[in-house]
Amino acid sequence: MVQQRRDPARPGVPRTYEDQERWKGGWVRRPDGRLVPRAGGRIKRLATIFANPVMPSIQDYYEPWTYDYETLTNAPLGDDFPVASPRSALTGKPMRVSWSANWDDDLGGGPELASQDPIVRRLGDKVKLSFEETFMFYLPRICEHCLNPTCVAACPSGALYKRVEDGIVLVDQDRCRGWRMCVTACPYKKIYFNHRTGKAEKCTFCYPRVEVGMPTICSETCVGRLRYLGVVLYDADRVGEAAAVEDERDLYEAQLDVFLDPADPAVRAAARRDGVPDRWVESADRSPILALAKRFRVALPLHPEFRTMPMVWYVPPLSPVVDALTRTGHDGEEADHLFGAIDALRIPIEYLAELFTAGDTAPVDLVLRRLAAMRSYMRRINLGQERDESIAEAVGMTGAEIEDMYRLLALARYDERYVVPTAFGVDEADKGVIEEVGCSLDFDGGPGMGGMGDVPFGEASGRPDAATVETFHALRDRQTSEGGPEGSATDGRVNLLNWDGNGRPGGLFPPRRGGGTDDGGGRGADPGPPEGGRP
Amino acid sequence: MILALSGTSNGRLAAQGFERLAARTGTDMDELIHHAEGRRVVFDDARHGPTPVGSSPEWSGKEAADRRYSPFTINVEHDKPWHTLTGRQHFYLDHDWMHEFGEALPVYRPPLDMGRLFGEPRIGPTGQREVVVRYLTPHSKWSIHSEYQDNLLMQTLSRGGPTIWMSVADAEAIEAADNDWVEAVNRNGVVAARLVVSHRMPTGTVYMHHAQERTIDVPKTETTGRRGGIHNSLTRLLVKPTHLIGGYAQFTYAFNYLGPTGNQRDEVTVVRKRTTEVRY
Repeated sequence: MVQQRRDPARPGVPRTYEDQERWKGGWVRRPDGRLVPRAGGRIKRLATIFANPVMPSIQDYYEPWTYDYETLTNAPLGDDFPVASPRSALTGKPMRVSWSANWDDDLGGGPELASQDPIVRRLGDKVKLSFEETFMFYLPRICEHCLNPTCVAACPSGALYKRVEDGIVLVDQDRCRGWRMCVTACPYKKIYFNHRTGKAEKCTFCYPRVEVGMPTICSETCVGRLRYLGVVLYDADRVGEAAAVEDERDLYEAQLDVFLDPADPAVRAAARRDGVPDRWVESADRSPILALAKRFRVALPLHPEFRTMPMVWYVPPLSPVVDALTRTGHDGEEADHLFGAIDALRIPIEYLAELFTAGDTAPVDLVLRRLAAMRSYMRRINLGQERDESIAEAVGMTGAEIEDMYRLLALARYDERYVVPTAFGVDEADKGVIEEVGCSLDFDGGPGMGGMGDVPFGEASGRPDAATVETFHALRDRQTSEGGPEGSATDGRVNLLNWDGNGRPGGLFPPRRGGGTDDGGGRGADPGPPEGGRP
Repeated sequence: MILALSGTSNGRLAAQGFERLAARTGTDMDELIHHAEGRRVVFDDARHGPTPVGSSPEWSGKEAADRRYSPFTINVEHDKPWHTLTGRQHFYLDHDWMHEFGEALPVYRPPLDMGRLFGEPRIGPTGQREVVVRYLTPHSKWSIHSEYQDNLLMQTLSRGGPTIWMSVADAEAIEAADNDWVEAVNRNGVVAARLVVSHRMPTGTVYMHHAQERTIDVPKTETTGRRGGIHNSLTRLLVKPTHLIGGYAQFTYAFNYLGPTGNQRDEVTVVRKRTTEVRY
């Protein structure tokens, strides 16, 4: 159904990840109005810390594989040219590939798989699984960088944190002890366990780029130009209350209420008092996210019912309707016809509501009507006809607003789509000054786009490069100098939790007399960042 | 170098091109000439970030700050004739040969029955369940021909090797399930691939996406005992007389722009489920 397995670097997500009865992610509201992680509060977590019963196994993602590429060059002369066949990355043995990161891509796997989608199961017959009646759309997913993250609450080591200055949720690689409670707690299953490093990893929102005012890699490289980035100011004191509203269908509105209007003088005064730089407030004022979510109300949160207050929002799609209308002899682009057809869209509005509004169809209906109105309104302009305000009024907007929305959705240039202020400690003059860094999961030995070349397990532990707002200048110096992250503060330290027993990592034994270092051959475990990432 | 040679980044060239175009068409291109003058995109701009380019006569659409590229907007807004006999967009092909073949307007032609018409050997039944389906080879979603196709990350997005997409009904007819090995056999060759069963496929048609390389996960086939082929193993070029029309308005060949349509993609194949162990 919905193709939501997109992630630039990761082994998909466990099948049926949205089914929290099974995976126990997110929060539940207790009768007394308090929120507890669905997987259980502190005591339950402690009791199950060594054997978490709802941990997705690697088979729930997929068994990683590689190919016996050597055959291609080493095979003896034969009648047929050689091919590389699949080998399990876990065992090295020949394997039959039976699941992968995007197995059901483009409705692959047929009705049998599609009917396992938790939302399809809930909606039953409303979702058609036959040719020319079916539908699909892509839902690119990254970490939601939630306002009320369950992963942060669930970490027994306090390694997960949400940065106060920009809201990015990160794993402190030094503190992480690999308990993996965050993997269970995240209802979006966007925290992953790196079996090589023994640490949790997640999308870092490309913070080294964001800090210098550059958009994330996934946004910048989006060919469809469909990703937008911007600042949203919110009232941190009201998040807990908003996430605990009784009816889960009120969560969408409650989250919108927490967002602050940067044009409001009271908000500006409070921001100044709290030391928020003026350029952040100005940035929030131009934020495409705030515009899409709150001004035009066409962006919706993904699964608000998980109660984590997710911060990656989506504009739900209009599905093919114009052709169907035209076939029935109507003008498919005419506003009234389009509005009338919204209930009959191929993607059932209930399906979208299950994704974005905890099942409440009214907000989705409004979004689709607004998108349809924009189409109709702009078409008249395109055809040189008079502007028709009544189209805008029918969806509670003005013509000028529709044109603004059109500009943002259809024309917006680079600096309108990505309104990213530089971080607190970074001068505006530093904007864009950074060595290009790839996706955060793309370090040596990491499972990112460039790192899957060899088996993601074994001796060479990954060494994530550290870069934080506090160390921006240090980072830049390092990037422009010869040395790597080694040779810094952590030299001579070894984290035994990461050591897999092979070889002798540098620092396991004190240096030999005479100043020479241990040359034991084991690259073993070099602990993570030289600087912690805590604010 | 490229940036200096393309009108989209070198405004002087674009302006010159539009002037020449205006002289040929006799229409008003002043706006385009005016916009092009002074535009220059250099390598440094491209290094700094994505840089918008401008309109240029080698393309048919306009680019500007208040609009996005859309094809043929230069034709529509500046009365530039289309490169056809009439200067308009049209389906009607007014050429004697096309009339003779009854193809002056687009028509549906079923795939040729090569056995009956040309005595090609038929694929005899093997006693196994089989379906005869139309065989299409569309461009794939994630790759440009074989480029990007066979690296490990791309392979781990799906079945880890070549696939054929088939409708639910056809798969049932050969008693095959998703991810089963199948063989597609026709007069041109044999393909061994895994099946992707999907309800987005119409019954009677299968897809094999373009240029899935033979270097990865291609077993020996049951049919011949030899290595299976790629998508083009089942296709063959057939030239028909209308392809040979040339030097006549829109039939004039221009590289990557105009030329006769290929009909080698109009193939039929037999698909069967593999019954024996997969061997490499």
